[in-house]
Amino acid sequence: MLKRVYLAATLLLTAGAAWSQNIYDTTKIPDALKQDAVAVVRNEEKFYDYRGVGSGTMRYKVAITVLNKAGDTYAEFAEVYDKFSTLYNIKATLYDAFGKKIKDFKSSDFRDQSLASDYTIFQDDRIKLLNVVSLSYPYTLEYSYSKDFNGILTLPSWRSIMGYHISTEKSSYAFQKPSNLNVRLLTSKDLKTDSALVKDKMVYTWTASNLPAYTREPLSVGLDKLISWVKIAPNQFEFDSSKGDLSSWNSMGAWISKLNEQGDLLPAAKKTMVQSLIKDAKTEKEKIQILYNHLQQNTRYVSVQLGIGGFKPIIAEKVAQVNYGDCKALSNYMKALLKEAGIQSNLVVIGNGMPELNRIYSSIGQANHMILVVPSAKDTTFLECTSQNYPMGYIGYDNSDRNVLMVTENGGQIIRTPKYRSLENYQKSKTEIDLSDDGLAKINIKMSYANAQYEDNLGALLAEPSEYRKRVLNRLRFPDTELDQLKITQPDKHFPIVNEEIAFKTKNLLSKGGDKLFLIVNQVNRKDQVPEKITNRKTDFAIPFDYNDDDEIVYTLPKGFAVEFLPKDIKLVSEFGEYSASFSQQGNKITYKRSQTMTSKKFPPEKYSEYVDFYKKIVQADKSKAILNKI
Amino acid sequence: MLIKRFTYLLMGLLCLSLSALAQKKEFKFGKIAPEEFKTVAFGQDSSASAVKLFDVGDCYFEYNDNNGFVYVFERHVRYKVINKNSYDLADFKISLYKGNSNYKEDLLRMDAATYNMEDGKMVITKLGRDSKFTEEFNKNYQIKKYTLGNVKEGSIIEYKYAIRSNYTFNLRGWSFQSDIPTLYSEYNVKIPEYLVYKPSYNGYYKVNQTKNEMVNAHYVSGITSTAKYMQYIMEKVPAIKKEPFITTMDDYITAVEFELMGTRYPNDIFRDYTGTWPKIIKGLADDENFGLFIKKNSAAKQLLPNIIKAEKDSLKIVGLIFDYVKNNIKWNDSYRMYSGETNPKSILDKKSGSSADINLVLISLLKEAKINVSPLLISTRENGQHPGHPQITKFNNVLAHVNVGGKDIILDATDNDHFLGMVSYENLNHQGFSVDLQSETGRWIATEPIFGDEKTYNYTLVLNNENKLKGTMLQYYKGYGALSLRNRYRANPSESEFIKGLKKDKQGLEIDTYKINNLNDLNEILSEEINVTIEDNVEEIGGNLYVNPLLYERTKSNFFKLENRLFPVDFAYPMKESIRSTITFPDNYEIEKLPKGGVYKLPDNKGSFSISYVTQDKTILVRSVIEINKALFAPEEYFDIKELFKVIVERQAEQIVFKKKS
Repeated sequence: MLKRVYLAATLLLTAGAAWSQNIYDTTKIPDALKQDAVAVVRNEEKFYDYRGVGSGTMRYKVAITVLNKAGDTYAEFAEVYDKFSTLYNIKATLYDAFGKKIKDFKSSDFRDQSLASDYTIFQDDRIKLLNVVSLSYPYTLEYSYSKDFNGILTLPSWRSIMGYHISTEKSSYAFQKPSNLNVRLLTSKDLKTDSALVKDKMVYTWTASNLPAYTREPLSVGLDKLISWVKIAPNQFEFDSSKGDLSSWNSMGAWISKLNEQGDLLPAAKKTMVQSLIKDAKTEKEKIQILYNHLQQNTRYVSVQLGIGGFKPIIAEKVAQVNYGDCKALSNYMKALLKEAGIQSNLVVIGNGMPELNRIYSSIGQANHMILVVPSAKDTTFLECTSQNYPMGYIGYDNSDRNVLMVTENGGQIIRTPKYRSLENYQKSKTEIDLSDDGLAKINIKMSYANAQYEDNLGALLAEPSEYRKRVLNRLRFPDTELDQLKITQPDKHFPIVNEEIAFKTKNLLSKGGDKLFLIVNQVNRKDQVPEKITNRKTDFAIPFDYNDDDEIVYTLPKGFAVEFLPKDIKLVSEFGEYSASFSQQGNKITYKRSQTMTSKKFPPEKYSEYVDFYKKIVQADKSKAILNKI
Repeated sequence: MLIKRFTYLLMGLLCLSLSALAQKKEFKFGKIAPEEFKTVAFGQDSSASAVKLFDVGDCYFEYNDNNGFVYVFERHVRYKVINKNSYDLADFKISLYKGNSNYKEDLLRMDAATYNMEDGKMVITKLGRDSKFTEEFNKNYQIKKYTLGNVKEGSIIEYKYAIRSNYTFNLRGWSFQSDIPTLYSEYNVKIPEYLVYKPSYNGYYKVNQTKNEMVNAHYVSGITSTAKYMQYIMEKVPAIKKEPFITTMDDYITAVEFELMGTRYPNDIFRDYTGTWPKIIKGLADDENFGLFIKKNSAAKQLLPNIIKAEKDSLKIVGLIFDYVKNNIKWNDSYRMYSGETNPKSILDKKSGSSADINLVLISLLKEAKINVSPLLISTRENGQHPGHPQITKFNNVLAHVNVGGKDIILDATDNDHFLGMVSYENLNHQGFSVDLQSETGRWIATEPIFGDEKTYNYTLVLNNENKLKGTMLQYYKGYGALSLRNRYRANPSESEFIKGLKKDKQGLEIDTYKINNLNDLNEILSEEINVTIEDNVEEIGGNLYVNPLLYERTKSNFFKLENRLFPVDFAYPMKESIRSTITFPDNYEIEKLPKGGVYKLPDNKGSFSISYVTQDKTILVRSVIEINKALFAPEEYFDIKELFKVIVERQAEQIVFKKKS
């Protein structure tokens, strides 16, 4: 056993030389690997030599066969580096369908550019890029590189499958470390870890072979449960002249706390200002409110990520001067403002829109954001300090309901952010529709959106009125909409609620069939897309968020019209959610009520067809028509 | 220049004049008048999130012994930030280009500050040292980035900077308009008497020139000379907002640009570089990445015998060479006017390249085969409209213009799925400049597409007693319709994934069998044969059944819902969509109601829509035809198409009503 692994490790180091001419002959790819695949990983060899707390070397080599045009995105070399890592020995070769070499790429074929994202003013990451174009399919791109790390916070992970529509013929990862240097491993459920002690080095090896491709599935929560993967986290680390211990969330919190030591001091003038701002405030809550408003009115989000600055906030004194900063700087500044007001708060490390922190496995890379918490026995307040619009205490759906790391003087502590439940993420609407006998409908809609649905409508609330008008026109489904009135407001800045009122006319509400008139009763919130049916689904699924819609429409019929037919009331109950619709008539009025409540729980693949059926019934019910008669 | 005028009229752009009574104003950095804090947005932009208070630019030349003439571009701009939506104005970027030699651009200075009114006092926040960043984007571009502190609603911010550039072929242009309203915009250009530049004007509003005169200037000590001074001032320029179905916003932003035309140095004759088309064409003919590239015929000589074989017919030879290039060089998705290589052979070896690499190889082969061919210079839709007068830098792409038997054909070999004479969407910018490298002459030609987007859907369906529709859908695609289906099909990982995509958004559609015909055969009509079972598309209400016979291809929403339009609607190519749906229904069903047919025509045969319903025994035949006969509609024609699409949506939504006999 031991010997075999040792051999594997040496082979990895010398690979290439032994590879024969036509190893990339694509005619030899098993059919099972071509099924649903746009590309096949022929051979991937990842080797990492973890030499010490602050240094390591990665050697990587991969050959990917691209089967068709849709796979061209895999014919790319793209490797990121920065001040703390060096890329070298970069090679790339293109092979044709029979594994015959077409060309070797020169170093001048690789582009080198900075990797600044749209939302970042400055960051020191760079990328080397090569896009390969081939006229015929299939073709194979082989590339390799070495990368030295000088400063380590994270260690490379591995996945047996790169993504959807790509299969793996062979892939392996060998991780080598001094036997006295500890790391923590987190692996997928059934993955076997081979380990071998070679002299004073420990080598772990993971391999995968002949894994067919997975297709993308709607509402999927991802492949993690289906494929093999390993994550490795260091315990001790050195990075950009900072040392620390990541072996637990507590110690990681302690490191972040230390990075930030003395970072929450304010200049004297700012202290005076804080005192004068809060002088009339009676409760702690009022003080938080005043200072959060001050933050929102006076600062803006600017992101600068440099070295350890990716983890260490700009000090509060500096933010007080310029009034801008990233999530860390603004959270820390808010913390300083609160401190001056005698309120203790803590920085919170959080994965925004990412899977939540794993309680039992601490590592860098599970979080991408920072917020602030004001802990209290009964009434803990979380503050999203990068938003200039959220009411105090609202932190956004992507921050909600997850494990996060609270940074305290005594180290880190995992706590949970609040959940916004279905009934809190509501849309409520009341609509009046007056029909006249010439077919003209006057429609007046009053909507109210809360929490997650408030976020959905925040863009409209903030948009210029002319821009908002365009959005509304494009949203209304009638081809002849004539807008009369339009209003969108946030009635109380303390609550994440947006109200909207739209009044318009259309002649396309009723459709004629003979001497009868048909009316799709749900004119406000119609679901018309059934999720795609999937046979033999493989991945778990989840509805993206919890929500509740409550809509009511009252129709007033013109004189001389009678209701010939009204749809029957419907009620659907399932573990995915609930739906009801009711139709009633009083004199010349028809009242329609609709309610839909959905949950974002995860479901296993076998439940999916039930979900489709449930949704299909909703779509059917939303199309229900009433028939009107002229008397 | 006939084409140019023709295009302009077609676009219906009148070039509105804003007030011509603009007066030059003076501004000093840091000197803010209290009333500037009270600025509100004006006119149609009254709810704008910021106002550009002024934007003043100066472009002038310096002379030094190493580099000769270089230009300096100075800009001073000031904004009033009204609300948070415009906070991004406080993040500012300048891109500087550097070539391989000493040629580069330098930032000479940058001053910036934020001003806030606090308790009646103006508080100044200067651009801090740690708010300046330099990003080495790649080997050619350096990006200077700045972010201003203390920006709040109500702040005034300003930037003043200067750039020196060796790249004197094009001067920094000037946009008088942006997405926020501009109160005052001024650009001053002083050009030494030794250099001649030609300005080109662009945009929805007319650029207002306030000066055009000779002034005294000093470039070399001890020598007095003159300079041509051009000044442009515009006041109260409205914000510009994007509209759908246009080429590029750049076509509508009011702006001026400058390209070098020639030099007139002392003791030298006037050297004309780009002052006339012949000069420009001569430059191209002598360029190793253009004219000389085409001339290198060793690859062509070697390849042609195998491509043409015994073919004698010119048109067929063109077809063979076009196919060869399409099938042997793959496009790398970039538009270029010059090849990256100096020899067709390099491109043929690499088997991939830019549009110029591919189409110049094509031209080289055609030329060697004695076909009458010229490079056709194009400014792509994204790149905007060419001003028409002799200017080289506005072109960014090249196609092949062939004349066979007196017939003009435009070739674009960047896509395998292009028919002979088809050019990609980006090239459909109405005109191209055909250059004859031998005689050094050129002419504008219209590049209106000879193909439209044509789709024909034939449904033959049987309605059964369970209210399911079963039968076949035969769908035919021509022109750009075929190109887009081929592209979509090939972009999918597999046919099953393609079918998944096909079913998406089509409620109740089950595809029993699917077949695509002539996917790779461009000489035959591309078609799909689909056997389908359709559920959930027949509604039973109160004993009646309702069916929409056009099913999934009906136009469900009006693309033109907005109330007005400033810019032309540019579809790029004409469009025709026919749906012919034959539905056979069960014996125990009777037609209760058939929608009325009708024909709707736009004036001058610009477009039409017709729909008809015919019954025979237990079969209904429905035909719907939409035709948009031209690619470009002027703003004043907007209401015509808006109305046409409104009618299409309304009429295509109508349902057939059946009654069940008991």
